[in-house]
Amino acid sequence: MRSQRWRLGITLIIIILAFLAYWDTFKLWTMSDEEEQALQERDPGALLELQQNAIRLGLDLQGGIHVVLRVKTEELELAAREGAVERAIQIIRNRIDGLGVAEPVIQKQGDDRIIVDLPGYTDEQRAEELIGQTALLEFKLLENFENASLLLEKIDSVVHEYEMAQADQPVGDTAVVLSDTLAAADTVADTAEDTVSEELDILAELMGDSAADTFDFGYDESLAGEEDVRPVTSRLEMSLYNNRTATNWPGFVVTKRDRPKIEKWLNLPAVKRLIPIDVEFAWSTRADIRNQRDIYELFLLKRKVVFLGKFLEGISLGRDQFGGYTVDFQLSGDGAARFAQLTGANINKPLAIVIDKKVESAAFINSKIRNRGQITMGSSASINDARNLEIVLKAGALPAPVEIIAKNVVGATLGADSIRKGFYSSLVGLALVLLYIAVYYRFSGVIADVGLIFNIFFLLAVMAGLGATLTMPGIAGIILTIGISVDSNILIFERIREELRTGKTVRASIDAGYQRAFVAIFDSHVTTLITAGALFLFGSGPIRGFAVTLFWGVSISLYTAYVITKAIFDIRKGYRTLSI
Amino acid sequence: MFRIIPETRIDFIGKRRIAFVFSLLLVAVGLYALVMVFTGKANMGIDFAGGVMLQGHFEKPVSIDELRSALSAQFPEIKVTELSKFEKPNAFIIKTKYPETEAAGEERLQGIMQIITERFAGNAFERDYTEVIGPAVGETLREKATYAILISLVGILIYIGIRFDFRSGVAATIATFHDVFAVLGIFYLLGREFDLLIVTALLTLAGYSLTDTVVVFDRIRENLRKFRSKGEFVGTINRSINEVLSRTFNTSISTLFVVVTLFVFGGEVLHNFSMALILGILVGTYSSIFVASPVVVEWEAKSPKRFK
Repeated sequence: MRSQRWRLGITLIIIILAFLAYWDTFKLWTMSDEEEQALQERDPGALLELQQNAIRLGLDLQGGIHVVLRVKTEELELAAREGAVERAIQIIRNRIDGLGVAEPVIQKQGDDRIIVDLPGYTDEQRAEELIGQTALLEFKLLENFENASLLLEKIDSVVHEYEMAQADQPVGDTAVVLSDTLAAADTVADTAEDTVSEELDILAELMGDSAADTFDFGYDESLAGEEDVRPVTSRLEMSLYNNRTATNWPGFVVTKRDRPKIEKWLNLPAVKRLIPIDVEFAWSTRADIRNQRDIYELFLLKRKVVFLGKFLEGISLGRDQFGGYTVDFQLSGDGAARFAQLTGANINKPLAIVIDKKVESAAFINSKIRNRGQITMGSSASINDARNLEIVLKAGALPAPVEIIAKNVVGATLGADSIRKGFYSSLVGLALVLLYIAVYYRFSGVIADVGLIFNIFFLLAVMAGLGATLTMPGIAGIILTIGISVDSNILIFERIREELRTGKTVRASIDAGYQRAFVAIFDSHVTTLITAGALFLFGSGPIRGFAVTLFWGVSISLYTAYVITKAIFDIRKGYRTLSI
Repeated sequence: MFRIIPETRIDFIGKRRIAFVFSLLLVAVGLYALVMVFTGKANMGIDFAGGVMLQGHFEKPVSIDELRSALSAQFPEIKVTELSKFEKPNAFIIKTKYPETEAAGEERLQGIMQIITERFAGNAFERDYTEVIGPAVGETLREKATYAILISLVGILIYIGIRFDFRSGVAATIATFHDVFAVLGIFYLLGREFDLLIVTALLTLAGYSLTDTVVVFDRIRENLRKFRSKGEFVGTINRSINEVLSRTFNTSISTLFVVVTLFVFGGEVLHNFSMALILGILVGTYSSIFVASPVVVEWEAKSPKRFK
C-alpha cells in the first residue's frame, strides 16, 4: 500500500510537470496574430522565449525555406580558405537577422556546406537574393562614351565575320542543326510580333523624348542589312546627353530580349582578345523599364578598384528626387580621406558602384565628396530590393561566393493542410484503436485506453519541454506509437487471460500477467529504440522528427504500461472476477 | 471474455515447406530490387537521385494531359501527377530527376515555371511545395541513409546476439531480413519510388517484425522448459505459436488500424510511407509464424541439439 502511494505521488508530479511543459505552447497557440504582434513590439524577448518553449513546428508544417549552400572555397587562395565557411556563416546570420525570421537555423554541414532554415518565411526570391549574393561592393570608374563606342565598333566587325563564318559552315552535326532549326521555327512567330510592337515603341520614343537627348545607333530591326553589318551596335542605344559635362552618358541600353545575344558575342574568344586588359564590360543589376520595354544597361568599366565597400558606415535607406530608393552611407577617417581624394580627382567623370560584378548604380561625380554618399537604385528597384541591399551592405561581403545546391520551399497553406491531415489521421487512428481495445478487453481495455491517452499526453509534453520539432513524419511517429504502445497492453492482457483460464485467482493472474509479459515488452521496446536512434543520428530534418517522436513515444509507453495502468490493476487485484 | 481467435491447434510447422517456397520468391524479388536500388536503376526519389519536384495548384481546372504535353516538349523525362480532388482540387506534382550539375535543378525549376505561366496565362498557378536537390546533396543523403540502415542493422544484430542463443538469433535475423526484402521487392514490382521516407519505413518495420519474432520465441523458450520432459519439439513450437496467436492478431489489427488511417488521411507525402508499413505489418506477422520458427525446426531436424 505504501509503494502504491509513492507511485501515485510520482505520477501526479509528472502530470503537473506535463501541464507546465504545455503552458507556453498553449499560450502561443491560443494567441491571435494581433496579440502576437503586440507582444513582439512590447517585449520581443518574451515572445522569443515563448516560441522556444512551445512545441516547434517543422518547415513542412508551418511553411518556410530550407537552403543548402556551398561555399566556393576553391575560388580563394589557399591561405584564405581557413575559416572562410565560418565567416560566411556569421555574415549570413547577420543578413538573416535583418529579415526578421523568428527562429532561423544556420549551421555548417560537412566541409564547405551551410544549411539555412527559415521557418515561417516563404518569400523564396528575396531569401535567395539575400543569402546567395556575395555582396562584394567595389567602386570603379567608367570608360567614357567615345572610347567605349570605338571598342564596340571594332567588336562589330569581328562579330560580323564570326556570324558570316557560322552561316557558311557546312552541315556537320545533323542532330544539332535540326534542333536549332526547330528552336528557330518556334521563335519566328514571336519575332514577327515583337517587330511590330518595337516599331511602335520607337515611334513613341521619337515623339516623347527630345531628339537632342537621344543618340541612336539606328536601332531599327527592320533594317535587316544594318543588323548584319553592325550586329552589336545596331542593338545598342544611347539615351542621355549630359549638357553640364558636355558628354554622352557611357551606358548603352540593351533590351532584355537582345541581352543573351550580346552576352554571347562578348564572350567569344576573338572578341575577348579585342578588349583591352584594363577594362571590362558589366551589366546593370536589374532590368529597368524604358518606353514600355525591359532594358538593361551595358557599361565599360575600368578594371581598377578605386574604392572599397568596407569603408561604408551608417548605412540607411532613403529616396531620391524621382521617388526611387537609395541606400545612403557615411564615411569617416581613412575612408573619408580616400573618397575625397578619389572624387576630387575625377570631377565630371562617371563612377560606378559595382556589386558582385554588376553595376548597381552609376553617376557623374559632380563635386568632391568627403563623408557621405548615396547609391541610387533606379526606378525599377522595389522596397525589398532596397532593403536587401541595405542588409547585405551592413552585414558585409561573403569571403567567397556561394551557390545553392539544394532547397526546399513549403508554402504556408500546404503546411496548414498537413497539420489538418496529421490531426485527423491521429484522431481517427486513435479512436479506432481505443474502440477496438475497449470492445475486446472490456473494462480492462478501458484502462488500457486511459494509459494510451496518457501516453500521447506525456509524449507531446516531452516534445514541448525539450523544444523538439514536430514534423509530418513526426506525426506519423506519434500515430505509430499508438500502435506500439497498445501492444504492451495486449501482451499483458492475453497473459492474464491465459492465467485466469488455468484457474488461478485474479490476484495471481494479474501478477503473473505483468511479470511474464515484461520480457517480451522490454524486447520490443529496445528494438524500436535502436531503430529510432539510428534514424536520429543519420536522418535529416523531417526524418529526425519521426525518430524523436518514436523514441519518446516508445519510452513513455513502457512507463504508462508498467506504472499507470498497473496502478489501476493493483487496485483490481482484490476483485473476485475481472472484466477482461 | 470476448475473443476473435479461439483456442487453436493449427499445425503451422507442417505447412512450412509451402511457406518456404513463397518466402524464397519474395526474398528473391527483394534482392533483385536491392541491386536495382544500388545501381540507381530503380525508381529513385529525388532526395536520392537529385532533381526538382514542385507541387502547386491552378486557380481554374487544367487537364493533366495538357499540362504534361506542355512540359514534356522541353523536359522529356518529366513526370506529372494530379492530386486527388479530395486532397486538393487542380493540384499537381511535377517531377524531373537526375540533374547533371548543381545549377541544373534551379534552371529546370525556372524553365518549368516559365512554361506554366506562359501556357496557362490567365490561370494563376500557386506553388505550394518546391524541392530542388543537386547531385552533391543527393549523394550525401544516399550516404546518410546507408549509414542509418547499417547502424540500425548492426544494433539489432548485437541485440539479438545478447538476447538469444546462436540458432534462434540466426532465425530471428533471417525473419527480419525476409520482411525488409519482401516489402522492398513488392515496392519495386509496384514501381513505387524509393526515397528517405521509405528507408525510414523499412527500418521501422524491421523493428516491428523483430518484436513479433521475439514474442513467439519467448513463448517457445518458456514452453520448452515446461514440456521438455515430453520431448515433443515440433509439437511444443506449434503449441507456442498457437498460444500467442491471439496477441499476434490483436497487435497487428490495432497497428493496422493506425497505419491504414495514415494511408487514407495522411495525404500524398505519407502515402508510400504508410503503404510500406501496412505491407510490413502483414509480412511481419506472416514471417513470425511461417519463417522464424520453421527455420529453427529445420535446423533442429538436420542436426539435433537441445533448443534453449
